[in-house]
Formats: sequence, C-alpha cells, structure tokens
Amino acid sequence: MLRPVPALAALLFPLTSPLAIVVVLSIVIGLLMVVLFGYTSNQKAIKIAKDQLKAHLLAVRLFQDQLHVVVGSYGRILRGTGRYLRLAFMPLLYVIIPITFLIVQLDRYLGVIALRPNVPFLLTVKVGSPDLLDGVTLDLPPEITMTAPAVHIPAGREVVWRLAASKDGAYEVKLTASGQDVTKAVWVTPELSRLSPVRLRGHFWERMFYSAESALPDGSPVESISVNYPERTIGIFGYEMNWIWLFFILSMIAGFIFKELLGIQV
Amino acid sequence: MKRLCAAGILIRPPIASRKPARQVRTAAFWVVLAVLLMPCLAHAYAGPGAGFAVLSSFWAIFVAFLYSFYALMTWPIRQLFRFIRRRNAYGKAKFSRAVILGFDGMDPELADRFMSEGKLPNLAKLREKGTFTRLRTTFPAISPVAWSTFMTGVNPGKHNIYDFLARDTSNYLPFLSSAEIKGPKRHIKIGKYSIPFGKTEIKGMRKGTPFWHWLGKAGIFSSVIRVPVTFPPEKFSGVLLSGMCVPDLKGSQGTFCLCTTRSSSDKFREGGVRVPMERRNGTCYSYIPGPDSPLAETAGKEMRVEFEVKPDAIEKRARIIVGSEKLTLKVGEYSDWTPVEFKAGLGFTAHGICRFYLKEVSPEVEVYVSPVNIDPGHPDLPISHPVTYSIYLAKLYGPFATLGLAEDTWALNEHVLDDEAFLAQCYSNHEDRERMLFDALEKTKQGLCTCVFDTTDRVQHMFWRYLDADHPAARDVPRDQRPNVIPELYQKMDRLIGRVMEQIDDDTLLLVVSDHGFKSFARCMNLNAWLHQNGYLALKDGKTESGDWFDDVDWSRTRAYTMGLNGLYLNLKGREKQGIVEPAEAEALKIELQQKLNGLKDPTSGEVGITGVFITGNVYRGPYTENAPDLIVGYGAGYRASWDSVLGKVTGQVFEDNLKAWSGDHCIDPRLVPGVLFSSHKFAMEKPHIADVAPTVLTLFGLAPPAHFDGKAWSLAG
Repeated sequence: MLRPVPALAALLFPLTSPLAIVVVLSIVIGLLMVVLFGYTSNQKAIKIAKDQLKAHLLAVRLFQDQLHVVVGSYGRILRGTGRYLRLAFMPLLYVIIPITFLIVQLDRYLGVIALRPNVPFLLTVKVGSPDLLDGVTLDLPPEITMTAPAVHIPAGREVVWRLAASKDGAYEVKLTASGQDVTKAVWVTPELSRLSPVRLRGHFWERMFYSAESALPDGSPVESISVNYPERTIGIFGYEMNWIWLFFILSMIAGFIFKELLGIQV
Repeated sequence: MKRLCAAGILIRPPIASRKPARQVRTAAFWVVLAVLLMPCLAHAYAGPGAGFAVLSSFWAIFVAFLYSFYALMTWPIRQLFRFIRRRNAYGKAKFSRAVILGFDGMDPELADRFMSEGKLPNLAKLREKGTFTRLRTTFPAISPVAWSTFMTGVNPGKHNIYDFLARDTSNYLPFLSSAEIKGPKRHIKIGKYSIPFGKTEIKGMRKGTPFWHWLGKAGIFSSVIRVPVTFPPEKFSGVLLSGMCVPDLKGSQGTFCLCTTRSSSDKFREGGVRVPMERRNGTCYSYIPGPDSPLAETAGKEMRVEFEVKPDAIEKRARIIVGSEKLTLKVGEYSDWTPVEFKAGLGFTAHGICRFYLKEVSPEVEVYVSPVNIDPGHPDLPISHPVTYSIYLAKLYGPFATLGLAEDTWALNEHVLDDEAFLAQCYSNHEDRERMLFDALEKTKQGLCTCVFDTTDRVQHMFWRYLDADHPAARDVPRDQRPNVIPELYQKMDRLIGRVMEQIDDDTLLLVVSDHGFKSFARCMNLNAWLHQNGYLALKDGKTESGDWFDDVDWSRTRAYTMGLNGLYLNLKGREKQGIVEPAEAEALKIELQQKLNGLKDPTSGEVGITGVFITGNVYRGPYTENAPDLIVGYGAGYRASWDSVLGKVTGQVFEDNLKAWSGDHCIDPRLVPGVLFSSHKFAMEKPHIADVAPTVLTLFGLAPPAHFDGKAWSLAG
C-alpha cells in the first residue's frame, strides 16, 4: 500500500475545506501577481495605453453624431487594445510559468475527488495495438475487487474494468501486458490528496498537466492507465463550480483590491 | 526541459534592466507559446495581472462595439429625426465648417509690421486671399468683457461683464464678475466634523446666449475650447472646455507657492504665498496649501499636501516626493503635471494637479509650485461640457492646465520665476492647447470649431518691456541684449495658422480674431489718489494713504472711487451702502469727472494720461446696465491704472513708473487697442466690431441672428 505524500498539502492545508484553501490561495496569489506585474511591466506605458483606450471610448460617446469619429475611434480602440496587450505580454512572460506550474499542482489536489469505499469506478488501460488486448491482465490488491468482467474496446485499443475498493487506502494495481508489468496508483480516502487520474507513456506535456505519476516505461505495450476519479465542484452562494473558476474570480477581486491599494497599473 | 530552463533564466535578470537578451526572449516566447497552445484548463488563466489585461481589453472592445453599434444603428434614425425637425441644418449654409482662432491680445499694428517684415507668411497669405482689418473692441477693452461680447453678440449692458471684478455695493469689496461658487448650504455636525449636505452651487454671472447655442439648436455641432467666461460650462449641442475665469482648486484665480528654506517675512503682493521649508538630516519638508477643508466647522482651515525634497547640491538637482509620485528635477526644470490629493477625512478628497519647478538647491533650497489646477481627468468642479470632455482630453493627451489664467504672471512679477521659466510655462500650456485644437479640427468636420489661445496676451503683458525702447522695467537690460520674445511669439502663432490652413479646404471659413490689441504700460496712474487729491474721495482723519480695498476711506465724505481696471463709480445714495451722492446730482457729477479727467496730463512726461472718459449710460444698452461702473476711464497709450488703484488703494502719488515685468497692457482707451480680424474669405464690412462675429457666423450657417444682437453680420464680398 502507498502512503499519501501531501507535500504541498502539508504546506498549504492546515485548512481542510477546499473552499477555504481556494480563498486563501486566491488572496495570496492575487497579491503576489499584482506586485510582480507592477515590477515587470512598463507602468507608464500601460497607463498611457489604458488612458488612450478610455479616451477613444469617450470619443465614441462624445462625438456620436460624427460618423467618421465613431468609425475612426473604433479602429483606434482595436489598435490601442493590441498595444495594451503587447505591454501586458512581458509581465505575462514572467508569471505564466510559475502560475501554470502552481495551478497544475493545485489541480491535482482540488480538481478531482478521491474514490470512496464500495463506490464502483472504472480503470481503463490503453495499449499500442488491438492485438495486445487479450493478453492484458489485472492484479488487484485484496481491498479492491472487480465488480464486472473486463470490457474490450478494440477500436479504442482499450480494456475497461469496473472495480470497487472495500476500504480507505492508497493502493497500487498491477497490469501485465506482453509479459511486462506496470502499476497504477489508486486513492480511496476522504482526505484531500494529490491524485493522478492517469499514468502515461511518453506525452511529456500531457504528463506535465494531467499526471502526477512517473511515466510508463518507454518499451511498455501500455500507453496509458486511467482511473475515473469524480470531478470536484466547490459550492459557494448556492453555485457549484470548478475550483479554477472560483480561483479566477477571487484572485481577480483580490488583485483588483491590491492594485488599487498599491497604486499599480494593470 | 530545456525550454523550462530558459523560462527559469527569464526570471533572473534584474527587473530594472527589463531588456532580456534576445535569445532569452526568443526562448521565453516559444515556451509561453507552447504553454498557451497546450489544451488545459489550468493554464487558461495566468494570474490577475494577465487576467485583468485580457479582460480589460475585451471589455474595451466590447464597450466600444456596443457604443459603435448603437451609434451606427441609430445614426440614420437620428439623421432622419434631425432632418424632419430642423430640415437640413446645413441647407442654407455658405460653409460646412467655421474655424475661429482667438488670439487673445494680438495687436493689428504689430501684426501689420511683422507681416511687412516678412515674418508672418501665413497671416500675410490670409490677408491677400481674404481679409485683414482692425476689429473694434468693447468698452472697456478687457478680455472677459470682449470675449463675452464675441460669443453673445451683444454689448456689456446685455451680458453683464464689465471687468474681471465687480464690486459689492454693500461693503465696497470686490467679487469675481463671471461666476459665483457657493458651498452646500446645509451641514450635518458629527463629532469634530461638519459634513456638507447638498451640492456646491456654481452660478454663471455672464448673461446672454453664446452663438454656438443657436447653432446647436439648429443641429450644427460645435467644439469650443478655452473661450473666456465659459465657466461654469452650459449645456448645448457640442463640446466645450472652459477657459479664462476657471478657478484653481483653492477657488482663486491662481495662487502659486514658493517653498523655501530661506527665511523671509515678506509677503507677495498678490497671486502667491511663501511656504517655509524645513531642513532635517539633508531632506527638506514642506507643503502645498490647498482649499479649505469642507468638513471644518469654521472657514479658513486649509488642507495641505506635504512633500519632501532631497537636494543634491553637486549634481544641482533634487528628488521630490509627493504622495506616490517621485520626481527628479534639475535646477531650472519643471516637472510634468503631478496629481495631488487634498484629503479632508471621511472620504472627502479634492483632486488637483500642479507642476514643480526647482529654483535652487544650494545654499538654500527653493521650489516653485504652480497654482493647483482642477484635475481635468478627475474634475471636482465642472470645467467642460459634457463633464466627460475634459476627462477625454486628459486621457488622450495627459493632464493639462485648467486654470483660467494658467500662465503665472504673478510669479514673474514677483521674481519667483524668471523670464525663461515663465516662457517655458506659457509655451508648454500653448502646446497642450494646440493639440486640443487639432483634435477638435479632426473631430469637427462640419460645424463650428473655435479655440482661444491666451499665450499671445500673457507673453505680450510680460515682455512688452523688451519691445518698448524706453520702458522703465527694462532700463537695466542693454538694448542689444533684449530678447525678441514678442516677434517670436507672433511667428509661432503664424506657424500655427499655417498648420491649420493645411487642415482646411475652401468649404471652411477660417477667422482669426483677437479681443483687443496691446500698448506699452510704462506709467501707472492711481486714479484713487487723483480723486483723493481733488476732493472726491476722503480718507479718515489723520490718514494720507489707505489700505487695500478702501481701508481707511471715509465713505461719508467720498463721492467717487475706482476699483478694477477701468471702472469709476459714484458713491451713490440708495445704491452704495454709505452712498452720499444724491441720484439727482449723479449726472452732473459724471460730467464733471469726465471733463476733469479727459485729457489729464502726466506732469512728469507731459503726455496725456487719459484720452477718454465715457459715461456708461451713453455706451451701454441693456437690462444689466445698473451693474456697470458709472464711468469707463480710457487711459492713454503707455498708461494704465496703477496696481494699487486696481486694488482700491489710495496712495500719495498719482503717476509713477511701472517697474514690473507686467509691462504691456490693453486696459486703456478702447479706441487705441482694436483687435485683429483675419479671414480666409473676403468680407464686405465697415468698421467691424467684435460683436459682429456671432451674427456673421450664424448668418453664414443660414440662421437669422436673434433680434437682440447688437452686432451686424458681415456679408461675403463678391
């Protein structure tokens, strides 16, 4: 049995409620990003670009009977928007890598929910050729049982098992294909855990964004092994939403407040 | 992984450089592009900074699209509606556009002279192609009076402006003639605060209707920029930025401050204050005086914005820190317009802008701070119509001077600014106005576009001493070292005309108009002193001179007094609070004063100091003549009311030299200082008057001038 390694969680999550975590993170990230934006951008140029955009918007209103002004202003607004985005691009260069990395990591904790005992889930294995499907076998720990026979999907080169765990724990299921063994972690726990819905062979960028496990061996006939963890939604004011949307909204609000307080042009 | 490493390098260079090496930028670009192109929910969002940028951009485009869509979709309907209601606004118009450039104080004699010297090729072109003539001005020849007549087409008796100042008959004190600003009437007292409840009331005192209102009613759009006496701005079909008479944030017509470590108890005569600067550990601390706190229980508790100066005597520069702004100035350098916020508490904030000028860093530290102008991007008082017009201009070109008398003539008079610094200030403001004019020309392809430039007036006021060979204020400057400021000014204005002419076609009428001309102001005359010496004005027993505003004047024995630039008043019983002149005797007294003053000679020079005294009852017609002075005094060329006389002060001497930089003037006999009229088309006219402009423009746009107009429309020749 695997032990959960909540490294980021240990740092961030004395809080156990996903909502509280997202709120705290949004405020902190909002502040950091605004400060970073302030330092890495040409503040004067951004102010001028924003002011000019506003001026052209006002021109459309002030001279609304002058058709040539309305049309001309619209063109200037488009040009001004391009200039503004270009100015925002440099700070974007600085923030996009750390923020993307952070969001990917957070998504592993907050994007999906770990499995629950006695609730069926699907384990899907994709192999390199339909001919290999018949040779794929599954070796389960005692706490996990198969609740239905495997289904072979030759068109998709996939085998799907319906499984269920009898109790909480971090498990490894073993698959054998063409005589080679590979494993996949399966989490059954009520706690916030770092989950990996898929284990992949190759596919560097996909692994970066979706997988929390090491790559499958290069020579393995198995291309991917996935578990269909349920998606997590966070409820706020009666609305259920993915954590990323909540993070987006709250960090924008925090950023807006901090930019005003710190006098940073964004 | 290599790409990620490249991204890591990106973070390392110092922020100050902000110029990553080309390879790093290229690598970073590809990394970001790769990240952006990979489909993933998580990286669709890259933090609030980028989020704001993207959202704001889309928001701008979205709003613009909505506006544009609305404007485009409703344009035919609005045109149709307009056509039905007013028929075709331009159906009888002789021109599709009129452009009127007001050059305040441009003098016809100088213009003629410089044209004949070949210095003004563009004005000369206008003269050849169209019209150049003298333009009769108002009585008196003062800008707010003349420009009010220009815009309303009526004499001062119908627009109620007779000077910058008018007098309160209940206490003989002056008030601004053009506008009255009153704070909210009701206050709620909470603790130490007295919270104003209600709106600030701004009442325009100028009567009459500007001709662009008549144009607007006929569906003709106008852009009106900085025409004097347009504060508070009135609603009409067009855009307007107010000019002369807009106050500063303190409510005055311009109060500069000199922040200095040099101790002095001297006070400036007017227009400025001296503020002590305290030096501690190499840093100097001072403040900018602002308006009175709106929350104070009693008036006079001014708000302040503190700032600090870190002088560097070796480099001859200083770092100025005011609010969140950090400025580095060399000695003799101006800052840009800098926002300052005066906070009264409870969220009450007055928004202003000012410019700093570093005068000295060693041995003493001195900083000139311009009058705090109303921030055009955040106007606490309306300075444009619509209110968003000043915001639009501020966003488009940055902050600009909004004060009516934006060029700080007092600071030059008081030697706080030198010639060079004053000129730099004037031309900086001028460039802002030029930008606004050209924007208005671009936006107003049909209709009226008018803009008044004050530069001509201010520069001639302050630099005439170098044009007049014998001016007492320039006696110390050898003639061969006198700068050619005024010829260069006229050339600058000529170049502006040239650029405007490039923007217009034959279907546009171009008029260049000035409200008055200019003459030397070498000798001052204290008319109050003359009235005192001739028994018309009495001082309290034992006094030989009065203070400002008639302090120590014995009104019970005073029959006449003067204040302001040209007005002479009787102390009329039933009108003035302590009036003694019986109404039945008033006419005789006016004639007596007229006869005695007319042709009055300066005993020192033998020249005529007063060439005309005009009884206003004979000059003005209209419903507001009762507010006019009783007589208008027309000083001779080279003369003007003394500085003390203007402030209602009686001195011992009637005539004296004018030693101030303010060395040219026009507040004299109006017959001696006509303005100019240039036009792109020839007109048939006889003795044109500034009141004729309004009916002429209306007529050329096919509208009948209102019957109450005093001006007569000129007709196109040929």
